[in-house]
Amino acid sequence: MKKYLYIYKSELMTNIQYAFDLLIGFITYCIMIFIFLNLWQYIYQDPKELINGYTMSQMIWYVIITEILWMSLGGRKLCKKIAEDVRSGNIAYNINKPYSYVEYSLWNHMGLVTVRFVLVGILGMILGAIFLHTFPSLNIFQLIGIIVSCILATMISIYIITALGLISFFIEDASPFYWLYSKMILVIGTIFPIEFFPAVLQPIIKFSPIYVVSYGPAKLFVDFTTTGFFNILIAQIIYLIISCTICHLIYRKGVRKLNVNGG
Amino acid sequence: MLTEAKNQIKVMILSIKYALQREMLNKISFFSNIIFMVLNNACFIIQWIILYAIKDNVGNYSFKQVLLLWGLAAGTYGFAHFFFKESFELSEMIHTGKLDTYLIQPKSVLLSVITSSVEVSAIGDMLYGIIMVFLYGFSMKTLLLFILFSITGGLIITSIAVIWASLSFWFGRMDILTNTVNSLMTNFATYPEGIFKGFIKILFYTVIPIGFGIYLPVQIIHEFQWTLLLLVIAITCILILIANILFYKGLKRYSSSNLMNVRT
Repeated sequence: MKKYLYIYKSELMTNIQYAFDLLIGFITYCIMIFIFLNLWQYIYQDPKELINGYTMSQMIWYVIITEILWMSLGGRKLCKKIAEDVRSGNIAYNINKPYSYVEYSLWNHMGLVTVRFVLVGILGMILGAIFLHTFPSLNIFQLIGIIVSCILATMISIYIITALGLISFFIEDASPFYWLYSKMILVIGTIFPIEFFPAVLQPIIKFSPIYVVSYGPAKLFVDFTTTGFFNILIAQIIYLIISCTICHLIYRKGVRKLNVNGG
Repeated sequence: MLTEAKNQIKVMILSIKYALQREMLNKISFFSNIIFMVLNNACFIIQWIILYAIKDNVGNYSFKQVLLLWGLAAGTYGFAHFFFKESFELSEMIHTGKLDTYLIQPKSVLLSVITSSVEVSAIGDMLYGIIMVFLYGFSMKTLLLFILFSITGGLIITSIAVIWASLSFWFGRMDILTNTVNSLMTNFATYPEGIFKGFIKILFYTVIPIGFGIYLPVQIIHEFQWTLLLLVIAITCILILIANILFYKGLKRYSSSNLMNVRT
């Protein structure tokens, strides 16, 4: 574990040095929040009105949190890097190293996500305060619970995206699979809470990764309940174990097919 | 002059053809890129189904108009990124001095640069646009107008990208600003104009002219007006002209980085 923490620390330090390069991500984040602010202001004729159990303010905070999670993840970059490692044969350099490639990817990428999460998180809170003039009432323990939930959500996302990138062992370009996954998360998990979907679909979505990587932490932020917290935490731990296992299985199966021409 | 234009178009088509042939070397990857892009865009229909279940009118657009808006946004994006992909990387090329390879060619430098590669997934965007026309309500007139506006919209997006990128000749690194403008155009283009209020609407018809690229065309397809059609065409021509003038004016200030590059 110590070696992975060292990988995490060194990547974290590197990304702190280049924090300015994340500026473009900030701008996109601001645009998205601005669009959703306008959209929900148009949909809610009265800000106090309840739609599927959410006020306008809760809906916008929900989007702010899910977008923080999504924007700080940098999923496209991760998927591209892993696919490129497989295609170029770079992954071979990791086989004889005293660590697992999958765990290396997780902790290495967590270093980048940490910096982005802190910066985009601060920006999100500022935007929310400016646009909405309200802040959900949360105590320190609830805030810690939400942060734990966000960390678990990010780890699950990284495992899932790593697994998608590792598909490159079997077909050359894995990016289309990532596009589909990202759009499913964006449309079903980021824009609307599960309660907005038809009753028939809600149980299916609750069993999908959307519940643990997106809905869970955001729901806790806008409407924290102790039961809700433990439900989400248990679901996240189960998903973490499943996604980690699948990722390692794909890697083990794929690495046997690896054929690298030296040079 | 006409022969010169004809030759230039011929070279441009050849450039795109060879770039496409390179991409088609791996057939599975080529087709999966296109199919998955169509599916990728289709995911957003879910968002609008849910919104229209809450309210039957979003930003004065009916559900079918939103489908058309999405189709046109995908069509214009697809056209620009398929035919003129490199216009979105131009700022970086100017800043890092990578234009040398194109300067020694006898044809238009700008066209040679921006048509030097293609984005395969953009074919999926264009296909998605056509599918949306069928869902909106197919008629020959609608389809022809849609194709025309995909071209004018694509040329507007490309021209804006070239205009901002050309500023790199004077001000150095402009890629963050160029990417921001491109990102603004793509993100705003997929939401009805009516949900926005105030100063942002002015931006739609000036700095990020998606008003001319997307909103007016949707209005024209829905309710045809000659004056608006001519306005869209005129604005497209003006923007192409500005992009062209600015690029060639800036090119005089270009300095190479002496990098060894080979055009593939």
